[in-house]
Amino acid sequence: MSYSKENVESIVNNGLSRRSFLKGLAASGVLSSFPGGILQANEDLNTKIPYLGQKSYQTFRNACPRNCYDTCSIKTYVKDGVMQFIEGAQESTYTRGGCCVKGNSYVKRVYSARRLKYPMMQVGGKGSGNWKRISWDNAIDIIAKKLLEIKKEDGTLLGAALTKYSGNFGITHYGIEGMFNSIGYTTRLAGTPCWPAGIDAQNLDMGDMWCNDPEEMKDSKFIILWGVNPAANSIHSMKYIYEAKKKGAKVVVIDPIFTETASKASQYIQIKTGTDGLLALGMAKIIIEAGLHDQKWLDANSKGYKEYKAYLDKEIKLDDVAKTTGIPLAMIKELALSFAKAKPATIWMGYGMQRHTNGGSMIRAIDAFVAVSGNIGKYAGGARYGHLSTWGFNYAALSQPKPEGSVGYSGPEGAKGEFAQVGGAKAAYTDRFLNINKTARELLNAKEPKVRLLWVACKNVFAQDFDRNQLIRAFQQLDLVVVADQFFNETAKWADIVLPVATQFEEYDVNVSYWHYWLSLNEQAIKPLFEVKSDLEIAAMLSKRMNQLSAGSCTFPQSADTKAMMVKEFNPGIYEQFGIKSWEELKNGPVKAKAVIPYADGKFKTPSGKFEFYSDKALELFGSALPAYLEVRKPYDKFRMTSPHSRWSLHSQFQNLEWMEDVHPEPYVYINPDDAEAKMVKEGDTVAVFNKQGLLRLKAKLTDNVQAGTLLMYEQWYNNNIYNVNELVDDTSSDMGAFKTGAPGVALHDTFVNFRKL
Amino acid sequence: MQTIQPQMISRLDACKYLRDIFNAQNSKALKKAFDALGSSITISEEELEVTFNRYFVGPMEPVADPFASVYLDNPDVVMSQSTLQVRELYETMGFTYPLKNVIPEDHLGVELDAYYQLLYLEEKKEITYLSELRHYFLHEHMNLWVPRFIEKALRESEHDSKAITFILLQLKSLLIRETTTQGVTA
Repeated sequence: MSYSKENVESIVNNGLSRRSFLKGLAASGVLSSFPGGILQANEDLNTKIPYLGQKSYQTFRNACPRNCYDTCSIKTYVKDGVMQFIEGAQESTYTRGGCCVKGNSYVKRVYSARRLKYPMMQVGGKGSGNWKRISWDNAIDIIAKKLLEIKKEDGTLLGAALTKYSGNFGITHYGIEGMFNSIGYTTRLAGTPCWPAGIDAQNLDMGDMWCNDPEEMKDSKFIILWGVNPAANSIHSMKYIYEAKKKGAKVVVIDPIFTETASKASQYIQIKTGTDGLLALGMAKIIIEAGLHDQKWLDANSKGYKEYKAYLDKEIKLDDVAKTTGIPLAMIKELALSFAKAKPATIWMGYGMQRHTNGGSMIRAIDAFVAVSGNIGKYAGGARYGHLSTWGFNYAALSQPKPEGSVGYSGPEGAKGEFAQVGGAKAAYTDRFLNINKTARELLNAKEPKVRLLWVACKNVFAQDFDRNQLIRAFQQLDLVVVADQFFNETAKWADIVLPVATQFEEYDVNVSYWHYWLSLNEQAIKPLFEVKSDLEIAAMLSKRMNQLSAGSCTFPQSADTKAMMVKEFNPGIYEQFGIKSWEELKNGPVKAKAVIPYADGKFKTPSGKFEFYSDKALELFGSALPAYLEVRKPYDKFRMTSPHSRWSLHSQFQNLEWMEDVHPEPYVYINPDDAEAKMVKEGDTVAVFNKQGLLRLKAKLTDNVQAGTLLMYEQWYNNNIYNVNELVDDTSSDMGAFKTGAPGVALHDTFVNFRKL
Repeated sequence: MQTIQPQMISRLDACKYLRDIFNAQNSKALKKAFDALGSSITISEEELEVTFNRYFVGPMEPVADPFASVYLDNPDVVMSQSTLQVRELYETMGFTYPLKNVIPEDHLGVELDAYYQLLYLEEKKEITYLSELRHYFLHEHMNLWVPRFIEKALRESEHDSKAITFILLQLKSLLIRETTTQGVTA
């Protein structure tokens, strides 16, 4: 036969020809003659399968686990083992068939050419860029031996530290903490960089952080979106806001930045940064003076209202409120009175507002205003911030016993973070807790024993933590840094070993939200690509190897099936709450928790059982029983810098994908035209933004969406770009956070900088 | 401009050793295949591997990704249309692929394996049954992307790494030889 394109195409494209071709192939004995390589002779040629067009989609249930209000329920379409596309699950009235731009890019994420593919070891020292492939066995062996060496030399495993945060909030991912629990008492970077001041504030006021179902907002008569930007960061919530607006509700956005959400509101109020608490106190005073407060509810359900009112009477001067917040008094009065008259009315507080040195006190002040207006415990009302009321899983992967004879810190058990606080008997020892928001400094300063091994999971430390220069020093002084991730980011650059981790489409898991009330399953939809493994499999491999080297040194299960692990997380309480009999029902689609109105019964989990305007705990911990006005941090440089989330990323996730890079390829600093003019900066000019912490060079965009005196730069991680806004952020703490999450938050938005044209 | 070194080894062996280079999972296997290709370059196993990884494996963004889909479909994604076409082609050739849905079928090492095995049947076993598919695969698939891959990597390696340049030139040489050879069945 001679080479002929048509002839071959006929073989390739025509089923009948292909069948005879394959039959001939089998009959001629060719298959037994293949020399063998990766590809094997197919002895079982299925000549009945036509070549094209007959393979149909399989569908799987998935959920987005990446620290987002929306935690979308996903339906995944797979053909011949390859993900083709996803869509938002139709069954969830919240996700309702749609995903955001990030979610819609998941196929590109899973099949990104940039994914970490193999376990690798950096042989030329951290940051050298000299990487060798190592087998999983080899990687795990190195880590296991280092852990056992630390234990032998120090007598404890406190020299082994774990930093993990919000890269994957799937329930079984607490197995990473479980892996560390299972080797002994270790060091944990504790706390949360995200929302701790607000968590503390709501716990002080109401004994919990618990918000109404966002789907109720469609029936709210008045909605204040306070420092929150759902049009960019919680798009599915917008439909309820639009629906309410369509039915006549007023939607007001209060924000220092004119956001995408502000552009959709009935009214936008530009507030001076860090004065939100004062505005709330002023508004409360106004409605009390107007007799529009809910005295009946306050009498029955609150503690310390009298003291609070006395504080407002004495300390809050409305003219000062107007002056300090930058909002005309008439506008404040109109806002407060119309909110109080509309029932039900609700306020949604964003996580940016509490990222100030007075952040917790501002959330407390807004909680108090909503309480005074009589909207707590009401359908479509509430002081909304977040909730963990659907997170009552077993945390089976997390809860591992310590190996016999484990030694750690003596002292009271500390908090481990906001999500999975599991009880248990008080032990003689505890883990050692370092403040996650001061990672660099804490790693450098930890003594007796010093930290020698750091495990990074579900977290891009260099993109999210502060003081990059100190971080490099901290990483360099460690014996072994292990980074388990999906992409090669800057944290991986400073690792000794990188371990490629599975996406949620390659493992089983279960997901709930800290905002809506839906429960979703993550099914394994495709085989893990290359040599990626789930975090649970990694933990199991480590356990097996440690026990081979030293019997009894690790209690984590020595084999891990993510499905079996997931099943262990369910319990009758979860089934009851979500109205299902088995997790298998989730294969039919996500389910929603039974309707409940937080605090509708007037029962609060505070010491008094009531809403606490006056909190003894707050007095003890933070020096102020009342939600009193606390001035924001004094500027230490010319301009305030604010670094919110962008719509193209979830913290440092997603921005590295080409779809995001297409529309948002590089970082910009957004500058008010008045400030730009003063510095002779024009649109597109490259500027240096600098302060005592560091310096960034990037292009300027001019916009009056940003107030004069403020520069805006999004937090991001870009491929091939060293930009990191946190280089300019010092690690000054917000006022609250240590109460519930183990460490205070960071006053990210109280960063001050200067800039000049390059 | 470097010239292509004269071929000291057979086309079948060249194909096999290049396959083994791109499929190597460790320094030792990589160096063994590299040496077998007839290199006179002195380089340690470790240096060869870290350089090779920087060019073709990662973990950071490689100089040139060794996947057809990256050149034919989309520079940022694997496992796309071209991969699936190659998958179907392997099935038609009579191969089964144990790493299906794990490592994309259009990885250079896998494609070189397919090509090597088909060529082996012709040369060693004198079985010509599959030669048309081999030619189809070579002319209408490999030759559409491998030269682009080579060109991309060579741009950097020519002033950076003799070892990588050697590998790329051997690959280029193989490709030229195969596309211009009429072959035993032509």
